Amino acid sequence: MLHACDLEEGRCYAYCPRTPTDLEQLRQALYDPKDLTPELGPFKGLYVTRAADESTRSSAQHGGTVTALVKLALEEGLLDTAVLTEESERFLPQGVSVSDPLGVVRASKSKFVTSPNVAAFNEAAKGGFEKIGVVATPCQALALAKMRLKPEPAKDNHIDKLSLVVGLFCGWALSWRDLARLLKGKADEDSIVGMDIPPSKYECMEVYTTNGTITIPLEEVLPSVKEGCQYCFDMTAEFSDLSVGSARVPEGWDAAKGWNQVIVRSRAGQELLDLARSKGVLEFRDLPEGNLEKLKTASMNKKKFCVAALVKKSGSSENLLYLDPQDPVLSRFIN
Amino acid sequence: MSVLLDGKEGMEYMAMGNEAIARGALEAGVKVASGYPGTPSSEIIERLADVAKEADIYVEWSVNEKVAAEVAAAASFAELRSLASMKQVGVNVASDFLLHLAISGTRGGMVLVTCEDPAAHSSTNEGDSRGYAKMMEFPLLEPGDFQEAKDMTKWAFELSEEIRNLVMLRSVTRMSHASGNVTFGRLPKVEAQAHYHFSGSMLDPDKGPVMSYGFKHAQQQQKLKKAAEIFEDSPFNTYQGPEKPELLIITCSVGNLYCKEAINLLGLEDRVGLLKLGTTWPLPPRLLKKHLSMTGEILIVEEILPFMEENVKVLAAEMAQEIGIKKFYGKHSGQIPSIGELSPDIVIQALVDLLDVGYETVPKEYAEKAGAAAFARAPNRQLTFCPGCPHRASFWSIHNALELDGRQGFVCGDIGCYGMAVLPTGFSTTKTGHAMGSGAGVASGFAKLRQFGMDQPVMAVCGDSTFFHAIVPALVNAVHHKSSFTLVVLDNSGTAMTGFQSHPGLTVNAMKDESPALDIAEICRSMGAKVEVRDPFDLKETQEALNDLMEYQEGAKVLVLKQPCALSPEKKAEKKYNMRVDQEICLGEDCGCNKLCTRIFRCPGLIWDMEKKAARIDEVICAGCGVCADICPSGAIVREEA
Ligand SMILES: Cc1cc2nc3c(=O)[nH]c(=O)nc-3n(C[C@H](O)[C@H](O)[C@H](O)COP(=O)(O)OP(=O)(O)OC[C@H]3O[C@@H](n4cnc5c(N)ncnc54)[C@H](O)[C@@H]3O)c2cc1C
Ligand code: SF4
Ligand code: SF4
Repeated sequence: MLHACDLEEGRCYAYCPRTPTDLEQLRQALYDPKDLTPELGPFKGLYVTRAADESTRSSAQHGGTVTALVKLALEEGLLDTAVLTEESERFLPQGVSVSDPLGVVRASKSKFVTSPNVAAFNEAAKGGFEKIGVVATPCQALALAKMRLKPEPAKDNHIDKLSLVVGLFCGWALSWRDLARLLKGKADEDSIVGMDIPPSKYECMEVYTTNGTITIPLEEVLPSVKEGCQYCFDMTAEFSDLSVGSARVPEGWDAAKGWNQVIVRSRAGQELLDLARSKGVLEFRDLPEGNLEKLKTASMNKKKFCVAALVKKSGSSENLLYLDPQDPVLSRFIN
Repeated sequence: MSVLLDGKEGMEYMAMGNEAIARGALEAGVKVASGYPGTPSSEIIERLADVAKEADIYVEWSVNEKVAAEVAAAASFAELRSLASMKQVGVNVASDFLLHLAISGTRGGMVLVTCEDPAAHSSTNEGDSRGYAKMMEFPLLEPGDFQEAKDMTKWAFELSEEIRNLVMLRSVTRMSHASGNVTFGRLPKVEAQAHYHFSGSMLDPDKGPVMSYGFKHAQQQQKLKKAAEIFEDSPFNTYQGPEKPELLIITCSVGNLYCKEAINLLGLEDRVGLLKLGTTWPLPPRLLKKHLSMTGEILIVEEILPFMEENVKVLAAEMAQEIGIKKFYGKHSGQIPSIGELSPDIVIQALVDLLDVGYETVPKEYAEKAGAAAFARAPNRQLTFCPGCPHRASFWSIHNALELDGRQGFVCGDIGCYGMAVLPTGFSTTKTGHAMGSGAGVASGFAKLRQFGMDQPVMAVCGDSTFFHAIVPALVNAVHHKSSFTLVVLDNSGTAMTGFQSHPGLTVNAMKDESPALDIAEICRSMGAKVEVRDPFDLKETQEALNDLMEYQEGAKVLVLKQPCALSPEKKAEKKYNMRVDQEICLGEDCGCNKLCTRIFRCPGLIWDMEKKAARIDEVICAGCGVCADICPSGAIVREEA
């Protein structure tokens, strides 16, 4: 906070993803209760997809599904702008509002540092856009969901302009400064073209450079993870219209890198995915056997670690700080 | 034409203490005067500078007090009379040279005037620099009224020439800045001929090289003995009262005025004797013996430290066999405080306690009423930067840059208006504050603690005058030792706090002659520091520059923030912008602002309109700098070209 604020509970407090949150109330209010699952939140279906356009894929993180969907939504006029994440100097990400469908690809690729995208959404809304889409990490999607319940007087709440949330799967994000420190001496900033975190069994982070791939052992990376990520229960961005992550395919990680897994959660999400299919913007492949189960296990593991971290921090299993110990999903992890 | 030069012999003039000192110097035929500004001393050099051309004297605002003393000493070595002036904290800066000067000795009369600030009204401390006279073994004079301020100054030059050493003359705020009647003496016509002789032997005070050497110590102590001898008959040591008083007060400086008033108010003229000493170091032993023998009880009245009190007690102990055992009252016994200024009331209270006389100093009820009345119509405002002050803008950006950086960075400060940045007016940004230039030195030290795990970014601030005064060595140190911190030079184009005296960064000197201005940014660059220059009124640019320097640049970094002081002669009373608040747009107490302008930014030009529940500009106070328009999150503060 730049300056002390003496309002007890203003908007920051109401919308912050780490202030007390009734998850069940959000799930019930924002989604079809029939779709709610404990493991993956609202769930209408799981798909494996990639952008049909080769050049979109080659500049994307994985299969380019996110880029393709956002571009489509802008082209079709479903959105008049999209809040995406670009990188400025030294890996410092920033939220940008992109209205030109051709500009979407410039913001492709994952930046493993949290970005002020909710602020960028507010700026876009103040800037006169009426149908705004946001590509969001799970915590950003949660903040936007909290805004949708409008706990505050309407003044200055622009949430009605939010038309689409594309969530990203997320294990954790890094502190910006620590990432720079981590890479110092390992790779020249200008030579880095991307990064990724392969499935957990590889226990490393990969840094792609113009001179090849560098792998950094996970144990070296983990101290740089933002503390707040420890207390995050959400791996699949449950409070979005559809969520996108990397795929798992039987051919292994190298092949999987070119695909995405998509969870559809809402009607708006389903309609966009269907549109992408009918327009040929996305390619689909069959869901490999066992993928849904693996995803559920991974998602539940994050919830389990989150509850354990919160109990440790509060010192009591009755107290999950910002979360409700009676929550129907999280309460399973309290012994 | 100034009355100080115009005023004929015999003319009575209501002079400020510092004017009296300046006139005294002129009556002594001073030829060179140098100083560094500092309240309450500045008017001495200013008044002398006013008449410099006509009086054919050389006057300068030196870069710091040590150099001021050195410049004045050179004149003395060349057989001219010279004066160096400074405030008490400046004596510390000069002390390195003074220690050497005291042993090398002087030729033309040389007087060091120190104007001190008991209660630290305009200082960061109230250090009493009289101890230097004792430690460095040169004589100390303390005028007890305005006439003496003039007469004693003139005499100090004669004394200096007689003993061939520096003489220190000490004034205090209530002497320097109060006024009283002074009868002028004659202004001499001095044909000055400066020449430095050095062909004699080392020990020849008149013709040898002037150097400080240990073997001259005996000679130096002889000079001090001679001074004590001269002081035995000095007209500046006076006694008034009965031959055998019940109580003898020994006092000096403004204590003299308070004691006279107290004795008079209590009607104690027949019971209390008052020995006022003008020559407070070395004490004249025979004079003291005579007066200590008058009575058994002695009260010593002086401001701040028990300097005279302890020296008198040493003499009394040495003379005990002859004069008997005395009972002393003063600071050690608790009657006289050793902090802050004295007042007639304090002396009255001491006399009431010691002599069992009835007197109520100020009736309690009256004091309470007067206190309440004094504040009744004053705006409820903390100590704050002036409206339109560049420092508010600078510290806004510094504060925000540090918060955005997020590593608990902090600022090391020093002395100047910007010292207030420790308070909410500077967003409580500075976290250390010591001597002039110390911010940079301390920051340079903090920045070397990385090897012990300290990763907080460090900044230092200094003013433009301070930069020349004391920052340069600290910055050299930092560059050489690769100490990574950011120095922010708050360049407001003058020694603003003390009244816009010139400094080496400006194009005119004290005598209003054109002078080459030294460029701070270029100096820092030439040292090897990474340097940026911004206008602090451009908040965004300033904050970005700070974050950039903190984050990406290693080693010593300098950001020069250039914007003249709001009270500077070039800006005074001119508004750049007409400001208003669009109260429809103002978010006021709502979330998203919560009175950012009047609660946090707090320029006195912004006020809270209780009725409309929105901010408003106080047009009388607003200086029209336009900065607040850029802090308002809703764009409600509107800036229009004036
Ligand atoms: C911090 C982080 C952690 C992740 N962790 C996992 C994980 O553990 N498992 C997993 O399967 N997937 C994870 N992902 C998602 C994954 O990296 C891909 O973003 C996702 O598979 C979509 O791939 P794509 O090819 O469709 O992306 P692209 O088409 O390249 O599009 C990526 C989109 O993400 C946006 N974006 C990039 N960085 C950020 C950011 N920091 N915040 C918000 N938006 C951003 C871009 O603007 C762009 O629109 C993570 C992503 C991030 C940003
Ligand atoms: S900062 Fe702007 S919005 Fe906030 S109270 Fe002041 S004028 Fe109103
Ligand atoms: S313009 Fe704003 S900041 Fe400047 S003096 Fe006026 S009220 Fe103060």
